[in-house]
Amino acid sequence: MPPKKPDKSGRERPILGRIAPEEFVGRTGALEQVLRLSSGAEHERGLLLLAAPSSGVSEFLRQAYDELFRQHGETIPVYFALSRNDKSAVGAARHFLQTFLLHTVAYRRRDPALSTAALSISDLMEMVAPGDYEWVERLVGAMERAHAGGQDAQALVRLCLSAPQRAAQSGTRTFVLLDGLELAGQLNGVEVPLETEIARALMHSGGPYVLAGLRRHLLAVAHSARNGNDFASALRLERLSDEDARAMVERTARRYEVTINDQTLDLIVQQTNGNPLFITSLLRAAREKTIALTSYRNCQQLYVDELMGGRIHRHFASILEEIAPSAAVRRSLVRVLYESAQNENGRAPVEIWRKRLNLEAAEFQSIVQQLHVHELASLNANFIEAGSDSLVWSDYLRARYRLEVAGESRALVVAETLSDTLKRAPQTMARHYRREAALGLRELLERFNCQRMPASLFHYDRFSRTHKGLEMDELTAALDAETDLVRLPQVVHAASCAAFYPAIQQVCDEERCAVAHGFDAGQYSDASEVVWLAAEIESKLETGRGLAEIWCDRLMQVARVCGFHRVRLWLVAPEGFTAEASDLLNEREAYGSSHRQLELLTERISAASAAMARQEVAPDEFEMVIPMGDDTELIAAHTVEQIARRISFQPEAINQIKTALIEACINATEHSLSPDRKIYQRFRVESDRLVVTVSSRGVVPPSLNSQNGESHNNGEAAESRERRGWGLKLIRSLMDEVEFERVDDGTRLRMTKYLRKG
Amino acid sequence: MAELATGSQVRSRSVGDLAVIYAGDYLNKLSGERIERECRRQLEMGCRALIINFRETELVNSIGVSILLGVIDAAESTGAQLIFAAVNHQTVQLFEMLGLTRHVALATDEEEALNTLTEFAATPKAAGH
Repeated sequence: MPPKKPDKSGRERPILGRIAPEEFVGRTGALEQVLRLSSGAEHERGLLLLAAPSSGVSEFLRQAYDELFRQHGETIPVYFALSRNDKSAVGAARHFLQTFLLHTVAYRRRDPALSTAALSISDLMEMVAPGDYEWVERLVGAMERAHAGGQDAQALVRLCLSAPQRAAQSGTRTFVLLDGLELAGQLNGVEVPLETEIARALMHSGGPYVLAGLRRHLLAVAHSARNGNDFASALRLERLSDEDARAMVERTARRYEVTINDQTLDLIVQQTNGNPLFITSLLRAAREKTIALTSYRNCQQLYVDELMGGRIHRHFASILEEIAPSAAVRRSLVRVLYESAQNENGRAPVEIWRKRLNLEAAEFQSIVQQLHVHELASLNANFIEAGSDSLVWSDYLRARYRLEVAGESRALVVAETLSDTLKRAPQTMARHYRREAALGLRELLERFNCQRMPASLFHYDRFSRTHKGLEMDELTAALDAETDLVRLPQVVHAASCAAFYPAIQQVCDEERCAVAHGFDAGQYSDASEVVWLAAEIESKLETGRGLAEIWCDRLMQVARVCGFHRVRLWLVAPEGFTAEASDLLNEREAYGSSHRQLELLTERISAASAAMARQEVAPDEFEMVIPMGDDTELIAAHTVEQIARRISFQPEAINQIKTALIEACINATEHSLSPDRKIYQRFRVESDRLVVTVSSRGVVPPSLNSQNGESHNNGEAAESRERRGWGLKLIRSLMDEVEFERVDDGTRLRMTKYLRKG
Repeated sequence: MAELATGSQVRSRSVGDLAVIYAGDYLNKLSGERIERECRRQLEMGCRALIINFRETELVNSIGVSILLGVIDAAESTGAQLIFAAVNHQTVQLFEMLGLTRHVALATDEEEALNTLTEFAATPKAAGH
């Protein structure tokens, strides 16, 4: 039978997938990564597919199966999803074996329809390809004997899970896509840790495999299966982007023949946060109830119906039931979850939760762990943080709390939830539009990496005085000509301010205020540590002193609460700042930029990054490594002489470069305690300059740590009769630009000499 | 009567109570220390003036310069004259940059240095000096 069966329109039919491949959006790169594993060309055989809750991982794996089936390579795909219906570890293992044989038979026969057929193991025995018969027969026989002989559960489980390994030993290569590993925990018997058994069996199978499940659970399983060693690469399946989520809503609505418009489409994307489960649930409900999603009212009515009694309700209800099977405990859990989420940051000590839930330690631990895995709460050391990013979960929890804990009438809860969601809809969209329009301060701060930028870009008053109104080319030239430069820190972590100080969200959107931790000059020392606090201010005109002061105070409050010692405040306002506001910023040593300045800064940082990338592959570059000592600096000096001659430096300049290079080599030799005793040199030839970089591993001399090598000794050396430590002074005198670049280990000195013709 | 000494791997010659020491092509720590030792040896032997000839010196590094400062100190402490001769342009710049030229005389070549020292020796010293 042919493996491909396109329908009349020529499209591929799904095999295990619930939707056609062309309907499946947003996971192209991830899918390719999984498919590459089957070729055996990848370094790793295994892949941990770390999925955010209900991010569509099952459909993703089914699509992968379908594609592998269609490609019909040498590797047989097997998709197995653990299910609550399996009841026990042995049941799940037997189900795995049955599915393994079923998919092997379907693939050998090139019959996609067999992939979902309800066939028993004995049925399958009769359909097995002759080449597979021997190992299948031996495996099934062993299993039946073990079962009849009353072997323990673990032996039976291991026997069933050994199918991929036994197949591989007989020359049959399989690719197991295992889904829902978090469910294995519920099927564990007393003596069978099923999840670990599965992970080990696949690791030892010899073939490629994917282990998929909730991300917080999967990492722990993988860790314990291999005693903490990494054994597979990880692929994270995050939420869909807005664009992909839009495409998904659009295609799903078309498939279900649900009428929708741009406004409601965007609302669904924003309200569900692009969650495939919620999107599908809503649109299926719309189809079933034949509701046209052409107004916010229809949309939110359907949404509330889903929350109160539809698929979304059943989804969350089943998770809560799984976490807390007892109705009384579940009720308490809803109360604690909801009330904790209402606190300012939703964070509380674990012990408080235990007291409030009034549970024994083991049961409490299990519940908290499950909440964590399902990302309904976050367990962090001794604290639990209630709440999640999901608006849908928040709505569900609130409704359930009102019904079950507060005892309010269902009609009231439904009516008010609907009213609230309708009132919220325009705000949800407005927030989305603001987020889209946000300048991306956090992303920009993340790109700070010791670049030198014109100071006027951080001082609106200066920019306004000297650059405002200039044509673009004039402005570029003026900025290029600026000698007062701000050296940006190397930012090592940037996040929304709300992540540090949730209360800030009361006054601004999450995207509009950012905190970046970094180091001045990229020097990892206490003295160089700095925290930038940046905020976008809304103001139609130039921001006045009052508003600037409020924001400075707010950011300083964040710094105080978070214990940031050395901070730099940076305010960004669309039209910049009034003279009085600029005075205030200067008094507080804060930076202030307009949107225009921010655009220019972003362009310059991008250009600097591109230049850095170009430098890495510069064709006119020479590299040299010399051992320290034995006058090897002379070899370097003679080399640089030859290079400098190629671009016609004058003899005097050549001697200056040589002397500077010798001094740099001596510095490296004398001060670095270098472990490899080598000096690494790069000579880059540009049209108007020669850039020499000298680096060595080892310790950084203290004098370089704090001041980028600036010398304390301003007088002439012989005057003070200081006999040593003149190297850097000499280098600075002999070269046009001298800068220490940040490196992780040791030092890197960059020296530039410009070519002066004639 | 001139005599040539190379025992310390530094070439030198004596002209009466003057000594001429020849620096090599690269003045660094090692070669600098050899020059310094030779200068001190000459001073201990009663030499009244020293000429260090840099005719062959192409490169000088900062450690070499710091050692020359030691030579200047040693000459000063014994009251001997010291002249650097035939220093190339780049090295002169280096000496100026590091302030050496305030403490030592420069001569275009060895002959000029010798003439200068001969003239100096012929000049009667002021009383008390």
